[in-house]
Amino acid sequence: MTRRPASEPPGWRIEPFGERALLVTLGDRLDLVVNAQARRLAAAVEAHRAVDPRLGRAVAAAVSVLVPFDALSLGSPEAAQLVAELAMTVQAEARSGGADTASGRAGTDGAVTNGARLPIEIEVHYGGRDGPDLPAVADAHGVSPDDIIELHAGSTWTALFLGFAPGFAYLGPLPPDLATARRANPRERVPAGSVAIGGDQTAVYPFELPGGWQLIGRTEATMWDIARARPNLLAPGDLVRFVPIR
Amino acid sequence: MSLEVIEPGFLTTVQDAGRPDWTHVGVPTGGACDRWSLTVANLLAGNPPGAAALEMTLVGGAFRATTSLRIGLAGADLGGHVRETGRLLGPGQAHLVAAGSTIAFPGVADANVGARAYLAMPGGIDVPVVLGSRSTALAAGFGGLGGRAARSGDVIVATGAADRASGPHNSTQAQDRSDPWPESVWPADDADHDTGAPIRIIGGPWKGRGDLVGSTWRVAAGSDRVGLRLEGPTFRFDDRADLPSFGVIPGSIQVPPDGAPIVLIADAQTTGGYPVMAVAIAADMRRLGQLRPGAEVRFAETTVAAASDALRRQQADLDRGARLVRESAAWDDAWQGAGG
Repeated sequence: MTRRPASEPPGWRIEPFGERALLVTLGDRLDLVVNAQARRLAAAVEAHRAVDPRLGRAVAAAVSVLVPFDALSLGSPEAAQLVAELAMTVQAEARSGGADTASGRAGTDGAVTNGARLPIEIEVHYGGRDGPDLPAVADAHGVSPDDIIELHAGSTWTALFLGFAPGFAYLGPLPPDLATARRANPRERVPAGSVAIGGDQTAVYPFELPGGWQLIGRTEATMWDIARARPNLLAPGDLVRFVPIR
Repeated sequence: MSLEVIEPGFLTTVQDAGRPDWTHVGVPTGGACDRWSLTVANLLAGNPPGAAALEMTLVGGAFRATTSLRIGLAGADLGGHVRETGRLLGPGQAHLVAAGSTIAFPGVADANVGARAYLAMPGGIDVPVVLGSRSTALAAGFGGLGGRAARSGDVIVATGAADRASGPHNSTQAQDRSDPWPESVWPADDADHDTGAPIRIIGGPWKGRGDLVGSTWRVAAGSDRVGLRLEGPTFRFDDRADLPSFGVIPGSIQVPPDGAPIVLIADAQTTGGYPVMAVAIAADMRRLGQLRPGAEVRFAETTVAAASDALRRQQADLDRGARLVRESAAWDDAWQGAGG
């Protein structure tokens, strides 16, 4: 195997995050294509760990990937070289159109589909006590609560990444007529199953947590169950559709 | 062998080396806040370095030994003693505890004393492995003792046989007394034991946007296993609106909208959307894990290369200490084998 010279994948930035991690930044703003590339890079790192356990579990976020590594056995410059090579492979696969991985295919129109996978449907009771912020969200956009429900349940969202809490999937990106700023006063307790909007993303609280997102509904779906083989209902790259119920 | 919880203390949880393989679905790495002291306590108890032990916080618990056992103590000195006799149980040592006696860790009111003590039992604490670890994930409520802190009446069971605590003085009739044979003592001369030295940091993605170095900060009340909130100068990041979230690790020093930095520690969330000014080096995470509210903290800039060197030195110190403890344990065995 020939070793590529140390270089950065074009357009992406690899920088040290302490002496034991690297942050790969693929873009400056949330974008489905860039997000799908971040998930592919994380998948490439994960695949490479099978042969090089010095790399840690990569965390893909909106448009970046954090790659921790064992600083006792791997120096930061060497880790950066390794990750750059993986990143350039991901970029080359995207150029050749061979990016049909489990993490999603980026189409030319920016849409991301997950091959044959169907969206995961999540039933939601919108408004009322389950969604106390629905009127405020509607007011913010000058529309009715029913219009917000129609928009939220009318599109298929992508699980961009997981974070904040176990099983908390950031879904989006929401269009401007649905995106809503977080509450000025975060709640100390947001009930489990609350369906919420925070900026241009939406999510379901997997269990009771503090939170500043706008609560528009609630689901009975179990987003996180430690007794399941895969505790998280949603994984990065999954497609999600919300279904209104009475 | 087991310990019955008489008083749980402020926050006593089962912790091990954490669960680093589930961060991609939002599970914090978790584990002991002071991994060094977890390791020392385990080695003193004859365990692998990352075995599950009790982490006590500020005010420790009181526990009744249901059988005689050898415990390894490390980390902060929370005033550990045997309640019936007053015998002191200092950190950095293994202690034999007689069946029926109560060991208590009442805590001390001194900001210069560390925040967390680690109590290891032979074989490690026997709780189910959840997602690869026995650590307590407090926010999500799993791992350890049913995902929560210890309560009165809990029984903390260790997996080990009572072999290392089976000396003749150690029968159920034995009175509590100091160990007649040399107790295992941790060699204290490790490279990074200067608790007053600055925490070494490496500039993060938002470096050069304000100076963490040169000020003295105070650890605020409200600090917990997720992060240390710092009181002192504040920072403004006007261009942080709509910052896309990115992965963070324990040690990340982030600045939320109120401008007061937070140093993330063991239970750090896996992603964050606040600017990260710097990342504390791995070798100094043990000291961050010991800072209690009211403690002063300063920062010093270092390099990636120097941070890696510090980590290797720390590991070499641990390896050397582990060797010495093993030799001491071998000596104990020989002594017991001779009929002592």
